[in-house]
Amino acid sequence: MRIEQHPILEFRRGKKVKFIFDGKEYEGYEGETIAAALHAAGIRVMRESPVLHRPRGLFCAIGNCSSCLMTVNGEPNVRICTEKLREGMVVNSQKGKGVLYEKRS
Amino acid sequence: MLPVDGIPTPEDIMAKMPPPERLARGPVVMVECFQQIPCDPCTHACPRQAILPMKDINEIPRVDYEKCNGCGQCISVCPGLALFVVDLTYSEEEALVKLPYEFLPLPAEGQVVAGLNRAGEEVCPARVVKVVATEKMDKTAVIWLAVPKNMAMEVRHLKVKPRGTTVICRCEDVTLEEIEHLIKVEGVRTLEEIKRLKRCGMGPCQGRTCLPLIAREIYRLCGTEPDSLAWPTYRPPVIPLKLGVLAGGGSDDAQA
Amino acid sequence: MKREVRFAEIAVVGGGPAGLCAALEAARAGARVVLLDRQDHLGGQLIKQTHRFFGSKSHRASQRGFKIAEALTREVASHPAVEVHTGATVFGFYEDGVLGVEQKGRVFYLKPARVIVATGAAERTLAFPNNDLPGIYGAGAVQTLVNVYGILPGRRVLMVGAGNIGVIVSYQLLQAGMEVAAIVEAAPVIGAYWVHAAKVRRAGVPIYTSHTIKEAYGKREVEGAVIWQLDGDGKPIPGTEKDLAVDTICLSVGLSPLIELLAQAGCRLAYVPELGGHVPLRDENLQTTVPGVYVAGDAAGVEEASAAMMEGALAGLHAAYSLGYGQQDYEARRAAIREQLEALRSGPVGEKIRRGLSKAIIQL
Ligand SMILES: Cc1cc2nc3c(=O)[nH]c(=O)nc-3n(C[C@H](O)[C@H](O)[C@H](O)COP(=O)(O)OP(=O)(O)OC[C@H]3O[C@@H](n4cnc5c(N)ncnc54)[C@H](O)[C@@H]3O)c2cc1C
Ligand code: SF4
Ligand code: SF4
Ligand code: FES
Repeated sequence: MRIEQHPILEFRRGKKVKFIFDGKEYEGYEGETIAAALHAAGIRVMRESPVLHRPRGLFCAIGNCSSCLMTVNGEPNVRICTEKLREGMVVNSQKGKGVLYEKRS
Repeated sequence: MLPVDGIPTPEDIMAKMPPPERLARGPVVMVECFQQIPCDPCTHACPRQAILPMKDINEIPRVDYEKCNGCGQCISVCPGLALFVVDLTYSEEEALVKLPYEFLPLPAEGQVVAGLNRAGEEVCPARVVKVVATEKMDKTAVIWLAVPKNMAMEVRHLKVKPRGTTVICRCEDVTLEEIEHLIKVEGVRTLEEIKRLKRCGMGPCQGRTCLPLIAREIYRLCGTEPDSLAWPTYRPPVIPLKLGVLAGGGSDDAQA
Repeated sequence: MKREVRFAEIAVVGGGPAGLCAALEAARAGARVVLLDRQDHLGGQLIKQTHRFFGSKSHRASQRGFKIAEALTREVASHPAVEVHTGATVFGFYEDGVLGVEQKGRVFYLKPARVIVATGAAERTLAFPNNDLPGIYGAGAVQTLVNVYGILPGRRVLMVGAGNIGVIVSYQLLQAGMEVAAIVEAAPVIGAYWVHAAKVRRAGVPIYTSHTIKEAYGKREVEGAVIWQLDGDGKPIPGTEKDLAVDTICLSVGLSPLIELLAQAGCRLAYVPELGGHVPLRDENLQTTVPGVYVAGDAAGVEEASAAMMEGALAGLHAAYSLGYGQQDYEARRAAIREQLEALRSGPVGEKIRRGLSKAIIQL
């Protein structure tokens, strides 16, 4: 959910861009992280953990903990809490340890 | 207890109360800062130097109540939002409380909000007398609340109540909650008063939609039969006309 | 592999309040400084802090954190002797005193005569069933989402931890439009300044001390949490469970200093719980056991921003001085900063820090 009005802050958002998450198109703003754009769309599950196959999301949001790894434009293990969103990005939830160039349909 | 649940005890509050003689003379600051922390902006905030300078920034602030005139300028400076102004002389029945507020929406002057105590419980209705929010205050507004006198030492926060979704007057967007409040809290008893306060019946429908509903609420809450109420008079036109129709005498179509 | 190495006088790693003040102080003394931060903006933790700061008026108290960050960033950016690199992660501290830096996919190496490490701290987590469910975040993470990007992670939150961070973030979540179901704190008393606690409390947020989270539940995301009470020995009391319908859980259970680079540099570390965990031993000037390597801010021990700024200034001042800069004003400036730092730590709430520092500060 995006905050429209805030008592202290004004949010200056960049240009609107489109990206694909697990095959579906979403919108976000340039300059925000992939994690922010996904959260704005209500998506909090980023991947499946490698051994226990548990859903995993964000924990630290500043690139410290590696909880948020996803496959971005075919590259696995991208920490999407610091990776900035760009027009046309293809983001996929990651299963296990991530496979390079995983097949996308 | 503060360190256990965040609520100061009555003894804590007593210790922060300005002397009774001073309270009896009008608005005065109340510094609800209970702990030695490294913090001193309050001591620089008062134009009259009523909050005394500290030798060590860990001191608990002290006040010279004779110097304070209750202006409230210090309120928005305190990072702990611990400064308040209380005026027990505001009117016969009401006291004034000035408090810091950093939420949206800001209440409007004249609006009635819920007064909350230090535990966050609603304790009474409170009328917003003034909203001060200048550039210099950097988004910490100071709200002046008129509260029943016995609540002056209780009310320390406010809640803007949602206006509700049961609409009574469609022309002016007045809700059931607002009408109930007028009747129950403000003691309003007549359609004429409600019309004057909320403009119900002054919109294009002339009260056709709202007045019967309001009459029913008055009956429900105070037992006054609708036919013993004074009903407002109707003025022409009884149906809204397009602008200029009366003046120019043209037909509807010609105006469109 | 041949690597190209750039030389520098002073490198500052981390552009939070500590790093910013270190860079400014050293540059003002006349040294040339390279400031590196892995984020694409300077300010560190300060950029997400919307509340007015405590501390002394002469040190920007009563200003909002993000405004302090803006002001310091402007001062640094306009100082000709500071070269700023954002989006620049220092990934290694090599034996020959060389820093490896990755910036936007490129790698370069820096050999500074002095290094000030001001990398801040990382949020800790807590072990309880389902603690990895999506919807459970560090309090700082939620603060980033909400205050930097303007996005709410959910509607109703449970805050675990009633230290300053937990209580302040709760207040900020209320301001942003979330509901805070409760704040739980395992200790019998609130750790936050009481004025902060009072302000969330009167906004209707219950604070349960001697309570902790028992478990989180939910299928793919958080759907609720169970809290329970702890007895005098910190053991949970069965039968005291309360079920809270929340979709978000924030953990604010402490920070650990980020000291990896200092460890690589060979600095002697000590485990000092009062300062948040392993910290480098250092002298009064913040110089570690490796000559020329300094530490400042939360990386030296988790404290708060005013102290971080002053530690940064002390480290920057001494690093410049040791290179021959600012000889004239050195003693006076150093005394002034130290006096303010001591005043800040001298009260009852500084007791823990003082205890920690007595174990971490050594004579070199
Ligand atoms: C919610 C909250 C409320 C707070 N309230 C207050 C308050 O009211 N008053 C107060 O005084 N303090 C407060 N603090 C504490 C204060 O924010 C911190 O103590 C302070 O920010 C520490 O400063 P620092 O410069 O050491 O670290 P940080 O601000 O954490 O900055 C560290 C910087 O280093 C960078 N970095 C880390 N590793 C690397 C690397 N390898 N390469 C490149 N860059 C790197 C990071 O990107 C970051 O920008 C609060 C903190 C929080 C979280
Ligand atoms: S209310 Fe006015 S006069 Fe009184 S302490 Fe505050 S600023 Fe000073
Ligand atoms: S500014 Fe507020 S919190 Fe700080 S010492 Fe003064 S009253 Fe206490
Ligand atoms: S959430 Fe911690 S690295 Fe992304």
